[in-house]
Amino acid sequence: MFPILSVMTYIPLLGMIVILALPRNNPNLVRWVAVVATALPLALGVYLYMHFDRTTASMQFVEQFDWIKPFNIQYYMGIDGLSIPMVLLTVLLSFLCIIASWGIENGVKGYYAMFLFLETGMMGVFCALDFFLFFLFWEIMLLPMYFLIGIWGGKEKVYAAIKFFLYTLFGSVLMLLVMVGMYYYSEPHTFNLLQLAQGHQFVGKTIALFGYSLPLDKLFWIGLFIGFAIKVPVWPFHTWLPWAHVEAPTAVSVILAGVLLKMGTYGILRMNYPILPEATLWASNFMMILGVINILYGAFCAMAQKDLKKLVAYSSVSHMGYVIVGMASFTTAGVNGAVLQMFNHGTSTAMLFLLVGIIYDRVHHRWIVKPDGSKGFGGIASVVPVYTGVMAIALFASLGLPGLSGFISEALVFLGAFSNPKFQTYVVIGSLGILLGAAYLLWMFMRVFLGPLNEEHKDLKDMNWRETFTLIPLCVLVIVLGVYPMPVLNLMGSTLAKLLTLFS
Amino acid sequence: MTAETLHNIKLLAPEVCLTFFLCFLFVVDGLFPKTRTNKFSMITTVVACIAGILLTCKVGKTPEAYFGGLVVNDGFTKFFRYFFFFTAAVSSYVAFGSKEIETRSRMEFSLLLLCTTIGMSIMAAASNLLVLYMGIEMVSIISFVMAGFKRDNLKSNEASFKYLVFGGVASGFMIYGFSLMYGLTGSLNYPQMAAYLTAAQGNFGLVFWLALVLIYGGLAYKISAFPMHFWAPDVYEGAPTPIATFFSVGPKAAGFAALLRMLLTVFAVKTAEGNWQMINGISLTHVIAVISALTMVVGNLSAIGQTNVKRILAYSSIAHVGYMLMGLVTLDRSGLTAILFYLIAYCAMNLGAFWVVGVVANLRGREDLDAFRGLGWSMPVLGICMGIFIFSLTGIPMFSGFIGKFLIFGSIIKSGGYLWLVLLGVMNSVVSLYYYIKILKSMWLDRPESPESLKLSTYHAVGLVGLAIPTVVLGLYFTPILEFAERTLSNLL
Repeated sequence: MFPILSVMTYIPLLGMIVILALPRNNPNLVRWVAVVATALPLALGVYLYMHFDRTTASMQFVEQFDWIKPFNIQYYMGIDGLSIPMVLLTVLLSFLCIIASWGIENGVKGYYAMFLFLETGMMGVFCALDFFLFFLFWEIMLLPMYFLIGIWGGKEKVYAAIKFFLYTLFGSVLMLLVMVGMYYYSEPHTFNLLQLAQGHQFVGKTIALFGYSLPLDKLFWIGLFIGFAIKVPVWPFHTWLPWAHVEAPTAVSVILAGVLLKMGTYGILRMNYPILPEATLWASNFMMILGVINILYGAFCAMAQKDLKKLVAYSSVSHMGYVIVGMASFTTAGVNGAVLQMFNHGTSTAMLFLLVGIIYDRVHHRWIVKPDGSKGFGGIASVVPVYTGVMAIALFASLGLPGLSGFISEALVFLGAFSNPKFQTYVVIGSLGILLGAAYLLWMFMRVFLGPLNEEHKDLKDMNWRETFTLIPLCVLVIVLGVYPMPVLNLMGSTLAKLLTLFS
Repeated sequence: MTAETLHNIKLLAPEVCLTFFLCFLFVVDGLFPKTRTNKFSMITTVVACIAGILLTCKVGKTPEAYFGGLVVNDGFTKFFRYFFFFTAAVSSYVAFGSKEIETRSRMEFSLLLLCTTIGMSIMAAASNLLVLYMGIEMVSIISFVMAGFKRDNLKSNEASFKYLVFGGVASGFMIYGFSLMYGLTGSLNYPQMAAYLTAAQGNFGLVFWLALVLIYGGLAYKISAFPMHFWAPDVYEGAPTPIATFFSVGPKAAGFAALLRMLLTVFAVKTAEGNWQMINGISLTHVIAVISALTMVVGNLSAIGQTNVKRILAYSSIAHVGYMLMGLVTLDRSGLTAILFYLIAYCAMNLGAFWVVGVVANLRGREDLDAFRGLGWSMPVLGICMGIFIFSLTGIPMFSGFIGKFLIFGSIIKSGGYLWLVLLGVMNSVVSLYYYIKILKSMWLDRPESPESLKLSTYHAVGLVGLAIPTVVLGLYFTPILEFAERTLSNLL
């Protein structure tokens, strides 16, 4: 059988090697190689979408063979309904980001090489079904990310890069311990995620720390959760996010918000839920509270921002809160809504970051209100109508206007959570987030695009063909999935239904 | 000469071979003065090391003690012979590409290096306290000379003197410990000592513990473990970089070889399952755990404030000793295999990292973080290789250092105890990222003030890539090396 997942994963890596071998003085050649190296996985992604069997919850396109025998480590790739939306999001956003990065002028070779390496890491995380392999991809993503933020970022790039790296490494070493622990406490010893999920292996076992005996499964759950929560990011582990997102170059912010954040929630659904269901139920209240805090905290922070990009960054914190709430509800609607929200937030926030990047390229600032108190923009809707239109779509999708994608997923999340009687109070509090979301986004829209025109920007140019090209596919997705979300919901239905049987 | 003597000499063939090359160099040095300054002595050293490796493969397939039990030839001896000969060959190659080793003293350097290598080899093979002491002194005394190799440099002299004073005290401790141990057990041979300790059933008296502490003091100095680690940063900083490169791997591993053999054959006995158990009445696991914890914490925390890259790497090498000692806590196969694997990984990545520092020191004449500024952009191969070494030292997956840590942490988690030690270990690797990344930040994130056209010579590029490849390959596929380490252990006499 054709190893389609591996091919999708390693084409970018191959592209990276080719780019490193290219001469330094021809940046356009480098760019086109990168386009090809991301377009091929995108094409294969379309093939996956066409041939994915929506009726089964089992793994598809599986590749499995022994890799490191003494530890029973396998090279095990495969996708199910949980991973395929993320895989599709990854290939799509990577391709668009390569095009959106056309304006990078210095260190072109290094930039594109790192970007392609990053795509390999992301693909691997979503396809790996062996914990060791998963961990490997999870960590190698950090390396290109560090350099992408640290070399091509904004003013505070060095601080942002190291903060991102340290936070994520802190989470991953906990994950490493859980990984090794799961291996030695499972019978037979294995890293296979599907085998680990069988038979509730860790329930009732204990481990000693300073003479206290601690329940193993809850300890594992906490270790994994912290590792993933840092990536999501769940309050109070979110402080790396505003730095990394704001300082990163546009395309990297898009990947960060569009794909990397989803890895956190994906990991929780892939590992905590099926492997440690008892502990997950035990922690559901806790998750719900964190989710609600995320929604409200993110929204309030976003409202206070004077920097456009920071506002979008904090809106991600708020929107990932919906995902946590949906996941913690343990209802069909809630969990489906959560995964759909992961996908939808990926598209809408990518649009927002791309749009912020476009305006930043033009005027080299992105103040809503300048530090000296004067207006950063104002009334630019009359100068850049197309840009304003696209921004409006992205913004309304993000705040959950009916008819656009965000509405469906947010509605599902709250419907699901509300139907679980345990969580009704939380939902009532959490749904305030929608109101706040509308408030900060519309307020921003008003201050930047409406009102009297700020004379500084009367010569602003509208989007060029390249920028339009990166936004069209996302625009289409946002509108189509807002009207008819079934293409994505169908993909994940059976997998999530099977996952939920663990909790009924 | 009896057949037995011949057989014994045959088992010692690798060391004999190195000695032969050493004498050969002496003679050549006298007869052809030209060889003092050209690359002849380096080539001879590398050839000697390769010959040593080949001979190690050939001789003594079955583990046995020889020369009346003074030395043993087993998997363990062989493992460390390979290790030392490889390290020596690489160090020699590094040194001859460096301006820090003056051309006129190239021959001296080769002679000293070969001599130390023989000493290290003896340390790994010794099964008798006196032979061990001989090996240790052979390595130490020559190391003092090597540390002061830049004779007209104040720092180098200081390093040499510090090393000498510290080393003298440490070996004083150790020989005192040895003599106490001899008085107690009535023997200098490991097996007889173990037999006495087993028979004593835990009734040793204070003198045994005193001897143990003194011996540990000596060995801790060799491996630069807490609390005898203070010398390392000063000596590494002062010594010429190629020599620091060698110090950070060779003598340290030799110390580990001696420590492991002594611990496993004198103070512990092999159990039926192929693990080890401390002799009744000697329970050192808690002590080792605490020492390992202190070593890595002290190493890592001290490294944070440093600005000289050689000092950063020196402290980091102390921290790595802490990680390796973790593998001793459980005293089972998996932990010991992990230590051996870690040594191999450490060898490649640490030699590489120090080598890069040496290249930069040659280029700029200093080795603080500022000297690295923007070098990744002007010399990409150097920058990428350093990236690989640094990430491997941090323990990021895909590189061999991660596998080392994975195996070490795994062995402790497997045992079910010492969870605090593992937690401390992983937190330490997060802390270590903070100072390691400063080097990469300087190389890649900071732009050079003025664009300069620099080129990494092929000589260095070949060597660095040669060390970077195993660092990556071992991170992705480590089964053969793991099995090799397992075999080594099962062959321990």
